[in-house]
Amino acid sequence: MFNSLLSADSIISVLAATIRLATPILLAALGGVYAQRAGILNLGMEGTMTMGAALAFITAYHSGSLLLGVLAAIVTGVVYNLIMAWISVTMKANQVIAGTALTILGVGLAAFIYRNVFGIQSLPPQVEAFSVINIPALSKIPVIGPILFKHNILIYIAYLLVPFTWVVLEKTVFGLNIKTVGEHPRAADSKGIGVAKTRYAAMMIEGAYAGMAGAFMSLGYMNIFLDGIVGGRGFIAVAVVVFSRWHPVRAMWGALIFGFASALQLRLQAVGANIPNQFLLMLPYLLTILVLISVSKKAEFPSAYAKPYSRMER
Amino acid sequence: MKKATKALSLFLVSILAVGLFAGCGSTGGDTAAGDGEKLRVALILPGRADDVSFNQAMYEGVMAVAAEYGDRMELKVVEEVYEVADIEPALMDFASEGYDVVFGHGFQFMEPIIKVAEKYPDTMFCLGTGYKTLANTCVYDVHLQDGGYLMGVTAALLSKTGKIGVIGGADASEIYRGHEAFKFGARSINPDIEIQEVYTGDWTDSAGAKEAAVSMYDSGVDIIWHSGDGIGLGVVEAAKEKNQMVLGNVADQSVLAPNSVVGGVVYEWKSVIRSMFEDVLNDNFTNRQDKFYWITAENGGLTYVPLTDVASQEVKDQVEESYRKLAAGEIEMPDFDADKTA
Repeated sequence: MFNSLLSADSIISVLAATIRLATPILLAALGGVYAQRAGILNLGMEGTMTMGAALAFITAYHSGSLLLGVLAAIVTGVVYNLIMAWISVTMKANQVIAGTALTILGVGLAAFIYRNVFGIQSLPPQVEAFSVINIPALSKIPVIGPILFKHNILIYIAYLLVPFTWVVLEKTVFGLNIKTVGEHPRAADSKGIGVAKTRYAAMMIEGAYAGMAGAFMSLGYMNIFLDGIVGGRGFIAVAVVVFSRWHPVRAMWGALIFGFASALQLRLQAVGANIPNQFLLMLPYLLTILVLISVSKKAEFPSAYAKPYSRMER
Repeated sequence: MKKATKALSLFLVSILAVGLFAGCGSTGGDTAAGDGEKLRVALILPGRADDVSFNQAMYEGVMAVAAEYGDRMELKVVEEVYEVADIEPALMDFASEGYDVVFGHGFQFMEPIIKVAEKYPDTMFCLGTGYKTLANTCVYDVHLQDGGYLMGVTAALLSKTGKIGVIGGADASEIYRGHEAFKFGARSINPDIEIQEVYTGDWTDSAGAKEAAVSMYDSGVDIIWHSGDGIGLGVVEAAKEKNQMVLGNVADQSVLAPNSVVGGVVYEWKSVIRSMFEDVLNDNFTNRQDKFYWITAENGGLTYVPLTDVASQEVKDQVEESYRKLAAGEIEMPDFDADKTA
């Protein structure tokens, strides 16, 4: 039984699944790095992703263009995140409460819009999802080829966004501004960096990433929209951001660990490992918690984490 | 202090907004007008009416029967009453408004129904899966083991690799019975067959289910039966991508992937719903105890989609023969529930 688990084919299958399962979490987590670095904890990411997934599907279905679907998801994410930005930056409300509420709202609103567009149908409307692109030459390499170079376009983009995000945050003035308003908004303010403006920008970027993560669920992974299609991945992404200590490359590893645990538990169940399925289902979450605990001592939160900034208060 | 109030009010507004949208979603087919002899029916669903599965099958069944009754019936549908804390008030609302029949479509409705039914003897309560009953309540359920058995036989006959798979939502009630019977049926054809089984633990995580199916196909499985729900769509999608065979559940899913969906179980709630209404209207309800309305192969509520031409005539005949035996009650299966409800 376990021999079959260790065969080359099986390992390739699990690792390729890891890459796919990590993608939506990675996309959302990369966006989360911007927002959390700027000092905003957005627990509403699950809602943003679900909204993105719904609007991506509706747009792709009616326009026949997957690309337009992804763009619609990005715009939706940006707009939806503006609500969170307004609540947390302008209204200075408690971010944990606002984020939780926005998750509930996002999932409900997405389902509502979808129902209004399509009504109740006996079989769900479908689109033709993004197809797999085999990278020439590279996909022919044994073992590595099928694991890394046989995916759809959104997966390649997600992984390319890792270095991109790193460059933006570490090598640009804008990235420095984001970190500054998260660490010491008062100092940033006195240097003429608009705290509110920068935080709004960070939230909009997060929205774009999270919207794309949603589009990946409904157009990349599946070709349909369901209420629960995001399935808690928005929350896992928030945890991954903390685990990564707000670093894009480590966020990628965090997403991959979760993806690997998810892929592994599915395989373990399938080969009939003598462990109750309920325990195997817990595995990815358990692993996430364990990793979080192990790195939490090292985690140095941005000083102004989840704290609204006001010039008047001290 | 001011901040806290602001946060709270925002929170409450969002909750209200959610409630508003959820409320808008539940447009029941109110078939108003008519005389005073109308049968007043309420259907309470734990999920959404378009969940492509458990709730939708029931919703469509009730709507179909309601259409037959026309203006002799008044129907109210409520969606997404999932939490046990919400169930009891919902049941009491309908009972106190004088509804004749109230459906609670799910196992979690069992205790609340037993509790509320005692106080409202004039209202008939129907529970979707469960085992406790009173004089004015009944249970309706699907004998998914019939379908599971048949799909197990089909999969074992069609598989060329000797490896088959089954994927379900959560390890619960009829799904569990279906899975166990699937394995039982497959082994009745080929005792040495390799069966891979996965529960995704969730009814809507279609991406997770797709990944489970892909990993099965990668390991040499060439046919999978899925026991329904949103996750089933993920399995079908995987089959399409990997160009392998898949067997559907609940409704005929051939249109989703004509080349991959080679067959499937089909069942509908319509006939049991109709017989429940008839019994209520003919005063044949409260006079009996322990009322169970089963969808089975025996009463024709559960059937199967004819296999596509992937299957040889011989295989088709064998499956047909198995179904005939199921319908005639000639197949002895272990009581899969015994170790669960004990």
